[in-house]
Parts: sequence; structure tokens; C-alpha cells
Amino acid sequence: MAEETKRAEDLPREVEMPSPTAWPIVLAAGITLLVAGLATTVWLTVLGACLAAAGTVGWFRHLYPHERLETERVEHEPFKPVTERPEVARRREVIQEGHRARVPVEIYPVSAGIKGGLAGSVAMALLAMLYGVVSHHGIWYPINLLAAVVYARPLLVSSHQISTFHIQLFLVAAAIHVLASLLVGLLYGAVLPMFPRRPILLGGFVAPIVWSGLLHSVLGIINPLLNQRISWGWFVASQIGFGIVAGLVVARQGRIHTRQYLPFAIRAGLEVSGRPQDKDPGEGQQ
Amino acid sequence: MAPDSMPIARALSLPRSERKPWLEVLHEWVITVDHKKIGVMYVLYGLLFMVAGGIEATLMRIQLAVPEARFVSPQVFNRLFTMHGTTMIFFVAMPILFGFANYLVPLMIGARDMAFPRLNAFSFWMTAFGGLLLYFSYVGGAGVYGAGSAPSFGWWAYAPLTSPAFARGHSTDFWTLALLVSGVGTVGFGVNTVATILCMRCPGMKLTKMPLLVWLNLVMGGMLFFTISPLTAAQLMLMIDRYLGGHFFDTQAGGKATLWMHFFWIFGHPEVYVLIIPAFAFLSEIVPVFSRKAIFGYPIMVAATVGIGFISFGVWAHHLYTIDMPSYGQAFFVGMSLAIAVPTGIKIFNWLATMWGGKIWLATPMLFCVGFLFQFLIAGLTGVILANAPFDWQLGNSYFVVAHFHYVIVGGILFALFGAFYYWFPKVTGRMMDETLGKWHFWLFVIGFHLTFDPMHIAGILGMPRRIWTYQPGHGWAIWNMISTFGVFVQATAILIFVFNLIHSYLQGAQAGDDPWDAWTLEWSTSSPPPPYNFAVIPEVKSRRPLWDLKHPEDPDWQYE
Repeated sequence: MAEETKRAEDLPREVEMPSPTAWPIVLAAGITLLVAGLATTVWLTVLGACLAAAGTVGWFRHLYPHERLETERVEHEPFKPVTERPEVARRREVIQEGHRARVPVEIYPVSAGIKGGLAGSVAMALLAMLYGVVSHHGIWYPINLLAAVVYARPLLVSSHQISTFHIQLFLVAAAIHVLASLLVGLLYGAVLPMFPRRPILLGGFVAPIVWSGLLHSVLGIINPLLNQRISWGWFVASQIGFGIVAGLVVARQGRIHTRQYLPFAIRAGLEVSGRPQDKDPGEGQQ
Repeated sequence: MAPDSMPIARALSLPRSERKPWLEVLHEWVITVDHKKIGVMYVLYGLLFMVAGGIEATLMRIQLAVPEARFVSPQVFNRLFTMHGTTMIFFVAMPILFGFANYLVPLMIGARDMAFPRLNAFSFWMTAFGGLLLYFSYVGGAGVYGAGSAPSFGWWAYAPLTSPAFARGHSTDFWTLALLVSGVGTVGFGVNTVATILCMRCPGMKLTKMPLLVWLNLVMGGMLFFTISPLTAAQLMLMIDRYLGGHFFDTQAGGKATLWMHFFWIFGHPEVYVLIIPAFAFLSEIVPVFSRKAIFGYPIMVAATVGIGFISFGVWAHHLYTIDMPSYGQAFFVGMSLAIAVPTGIKIFNWLATMWGGKIWLATPMLFCVGFLFQFLIAGLTGVILANAPFDWQLGNSYFVVAHFHYVIVGGILFALFGAFYYWFPKVTGRMMDETLGKWHFWLFVIGFHLTFDPMHIAGILGMPRRIWTYQPGHGWAIWNMISTFGVFVQATAILIFVFNLIHSYLQGAQAGDDPWDAWTLEWSTSSPPPPYNFAVIPEVKSRRPLWDLKHPEDPDWQYE
């Protein structure tokens, strides 16, 4: 109480503020009329020039030799850092664990994504080859089609030729498959912590179906020849197979905590001060 | 309390004998140099012009509702879309955003006023008189030729439509002079904002501790120097062409019409970011408070804004893909236009990350921010489509572009502005806006917005060109235009509710108190409305959320920044 009284006594009783003045509006009106005269009559320009001159001189005299100020009486009402509005009070009680958290507070390590991607790639390859066998195209058919994503030759040859083994196509397809699987695995590792309740539903079903739908809608435009040869039912099945296996593998890995408030320098491995516990109350006042 | 910050409400609450004469109140406002009053005047001025621009839009939509309509003549239609575009950009969006910046920036940095209070007043009056000059063209535009009234060349004013041969009378001159005059005010505002933010911050408020709204307005203020200058230069060149026999844009005498296009869009595209960055600023303040979480990724939000500011000056020619531009030029502008989506996307992700895991409170300001996020995302996606030259060759100058642009301006900026109105109204007036009316406003406006602008995408893809006065049946456009026109009336209803809410809440709203949202920035630490001097004692801050520190001394933010 005594401290509050002292604080009130320390307050200034008056504050000096710039005094109101008409010269800015006079100058603005003058300039406007001055230019408006170009499209109307020269007399408007003359009037505008007079007003602008008066405004300039008046403004100058308002500031020199001494700026004109007016005194405002300070009415002290100490700030109460609490609002009585019930809507706010209700919400204040439910804050505040994690009000500063940078979610997700736990993530999967990079290795989880790599493992998930590789496991998913195996599952997808098995399903694709199963399709080749069931459809009587042979196991090399889906591999050659995958190579055709970047290498158009397989689409221009006969159905028989596209079902046989070609070393170049195999290497291209293997590279695409492994690279894409790793990238999607890493994506799963990054995204799944954000959906902790249903990782398999998201990774195994929702994402593959959305991706397949997107591809189905545009492939006919981008690459109609490839589009004709794709069996979309099997395509979706292999995507789901990848998603479920990758999702399961990623979700089974141990999570690690993110370094929530550490400065970048410390996260980068530099030996500097700046951890929250290093700070003292005076530091923030600088 | 500051008695003269709410003159009407105060006047009405006093006995008649104690009321100040209206003329005296008016005089006080006309000669004021107080940043808060000037901010309020900017906003009211913008709202007034919004009525004019809204009426123009409604008349255009009525004309386009059905094929072969004759509601207005082609000449009137041309004037309507010219005045609508010019009004909404220069005399609605900019003044209202400047008004908010004027009001909030000094309060948020713990200053007593702007750095140059008189320049502030001058800037406002220049902007205001510029708008009046533009609309004077309805009266004085005919000139000695008796030709036309308001300008009718579209708000881009492409040459040679502005040359004396095609724009007789004085309508073009009024348009040019209006933008020249208001441009002076705009640059004045930019100088003042930058100087205020760099020089007037309270003790402890380092650049890294400024509220994001202040950071974003700093970027916007800096951008104004470079956006307005090319426009002003082009306007002067046009005046020289029209009055002194110059040939800058006269293709018959060695000039280039495309020169105007370049000048205009070097202004025009950064201008979109001048408008959207303050909208981002509103979200960066409102979303954390209504998610009850600190903003996610403050440093990267600042970096993204600065990045947007820089990149925005390298994208202008994506408006000009169909002129004679070499392929490497097109490739450059495609790349830059796509690149600007990256920092913009970062901001959207950061707002979502702020909301995620928070205790979201869907009060009206937050509802508008959520609407912004959804719609601005779609606006960004259609922007990415149009940034690609081959798509733009097909869709440029179609209603698809109109839809994209209005998704940015209305779905983005206007939604953020409405959120800002509901959020800061209690600070400005001391009274809360009505929540029920606010929710009616939000939902009707959302419905009206989507009814109006979603069908325009389809009409554009079906080949409907922009700026056509009417169209024949059989193109498949009629149904989409009818829906758009219906949507305008839904939006107008929502706006009427908003205006009623403003007036009703101003006169009879619940008392707000100093800090009605349990917020964290300095403006909430002074009374509502603030006194003329803002703060009796200049505050000292230790973190980006000074009021959080004050309310929670056991868990202050500065330990984590």
C-alpha cells in the first residue's frame, strides 16, 4: 500500500504535448487547390498558392523559435492487470501449461523416418510385384512403368516388351523408388508427431488416398500414355501398403524432446550463455 | 479517462447545458495533432469511402446479373469500375490501415505520440483532400468539351486510354491529381511511421522485443517510400504528356504504352503487400491472444515479412506476361512470383502453429482471423496459378483474376480488418462491440463473400473477360453472375449489421475496462480510451509480452527470449 502511494507521488502531475494547430490542414488544402487549378481555373491555383504559403509560414512559426506545447493534466488511474469480464476470467483458469510451448514438444529422430521409408518401400515393392503376377503382366511390368515416369521409352514399346527385364529401366525405377520412399518416410517422421492420436489412419490411409486422388486427377493431362497403363485399384493398394508399414515403423520409434527455448547458437552447438536458467531478473531490464 | 476521446458519447451523456457546442468539437478534431484522433479520422474517412466504393460495386453487379442487361450504360459502367478500384485501394484500404497504424503503433511502443505529430495531421488531410478531388471529377470532369464525368479507363489507367485523344475533358486530370495529392500524404505517413518506430520506442523495447504489429508496420512504412515514388513519377509524366506536349506514353510519337504499365505495376504489386502486411500484423496480435499462446516463431515471422517486402519489388511484371517480354524475363518473374509464396506460407504455418495446442477462443475477432487464414490460403493458391506465365496467358484479364484479387483484398485484408475492428474497438471507445451482432456479421459476410467471389473463378475459367459491360446468353456465364450478384446483397446486409453494431456499441456497448481480452501488449496497459498523453509514465519493457510479465511475475517471458 505504502509502495503504491509512493508510486502515485512519483507520477508527473502534468505532461506536455504538441498543441493542436490548423496549419497542416491549411497547407494541405492549399496544395490541393494549387494542383486542382490545373484542371479548373488559374484563380484556384492562385488561391491554393496563397494558402500553401500561409500554411508553410504558420507551421514554421508554430515550431520556431519554440515549439508550441500544451499541458495535459495527468489523471492517475493505476493499471489493474486483471479484467473482470467473466469470459476472460473463465479462460484464464484453463491456461497455462504449455502456453509458451512450441509444439510438437516431442518429435521422431531423423532415423525413424529413414527406417519407415525403407520398410514402406519394401512393402510397396512386394505389392507392386504381386500385381504384376496377378495381372499376368509379370513382375517387371510395374518396375518398367515406374521408370517411365522420367524415361518415356517404355511407353512407346509393345506390351510384351514392357513386361520384360531391362537393366536401365530397373536402375532408374530402383533409384526413384528408394529416393521417393526415403523422402516420404522423412515426411512421415516430421508430420506424424503432429497427429499423435491417429498416426496410422493418417499415414496409412488418409495421406495415400489424398495423394492417389490428386495424381489420378492430373495424370491424364500430364502423361496420358502412362495414365492408360495404370491400374488405379492396385495403385491405391500399394500406396496404402506403403503408408501403413511406414507409419507403423515410424510410430514405434522412440521420441525425443525438442529444444524449446534454447537460442539458435546453443542449438547449433556453440558454447555460449543464454539458457533460461542463466538469466537473472535484471537482465531483462536492459 | 480521456474525456475528449469520445466526444459524441460523452456529449450525449452530459446534461444539455454542459455539452460542448458541435462546432467546437468539430474544430478540436480538425486542428488535432493527436495520433489517436488522426487514426480515428483515417478510419472514419475510409469507411465513408467504402460506402461509395460499395455502392459502385453493387451497381456493377446488378448490371452483370443477367445477360444483355441495360441497368446502366456502358459509359457509366466504365466509370463505375474505374472509381470502384481507385476508391477501394487508395481511399478505403490504405486510409483504414493507416488509421489503425496511427492509433496503435505509438501505444504499442510506449510512446506519447508519433515522431512528427503535425506531419501526421498534414498527411491525413492530404489523403482526405485527394479523395475529394477524385470524386470532384463527377462534377468537374466534363471540362470544356462536355465529355464524360468521372474517369473511365480502369484503375490501372493504361496508356493510351489516358491520352487527350481518348480521355477528353478533365476526368483523367482529376484522377492523376487526386493520386498525386494523396501520394504526398501516403509518403508522409510512411516517413512518420518509420521514424516513430525507430526513434520513439520505450526503454527496454529493442527491435527484437517489438510487437509483431509494430515490426510489420515498420516494413510497410519503408515499402511506401519505394512504391509510391514510381506512381508519382508516372503521374507527373502523364501530366507532362497531357499538358506540355510530352510523348512518354504516346506510341505515335516514339513513346511506349508499356512504359506506363511497368511504372504502374512497379507501384501496383508492392502495393498489394503494403495492404496485406498490416493485415498480417492484425493476425499476429489477435491469433496469439485468442489462442492463449505466445506467437510461434517470432524471429522467422519478422524475417518472412522483411523477405516479402524485398521480393515484392521483383514481381511486378507478372501482370505483363502478355506484352512483348523475352522468355528469360518471364522466367525471372515467374520465379520471383513463386518465391514470394515461401515467406507468405511461413507466416500461415506460424499462425496455425500458434493456434495448435492453444486454448482457442472463437470470439468475433478470432472468427475473422480464421476466415482470413482459410481464404487467404486459397487466394495464395490461385496466385501461384497465375504466377505461372502459361496459365496467365489463358486466365489473365479474365474473371479468374478478378476473383483472385478480391480473395486477397476482401477475403484477406477486409476480414483481418474486421477482426481488428472488433479487437481494438474497446480500446478506442471504452466499450465492447456486441458479440451476437458480430457473429451475425461474420457468418453473413462469409456466406456473401463466397457466393460473390467463388463463382467468379468459374466464370473466368469459362472465358468471361473482366470489365465487360454485358454479355450474351449461351456462354454458361449467366448462372455464375447471378449467384455473384446475390452474394453482394448478402455481403451488404452483413456490412449494415457491422455499421449498426459500431454505432450501437459506441453509444450503448458494455464497459470494456482497460484490458478486456487479457492481452499482452502495451496498449492494453493504459485506460480505454487512452488519455491524450497515452501513458502517465513511459513504460519499461523486458519482453515481447510486457503485460504477461506484469500479470505473471512468477513466470515472465524475458526468461525465454
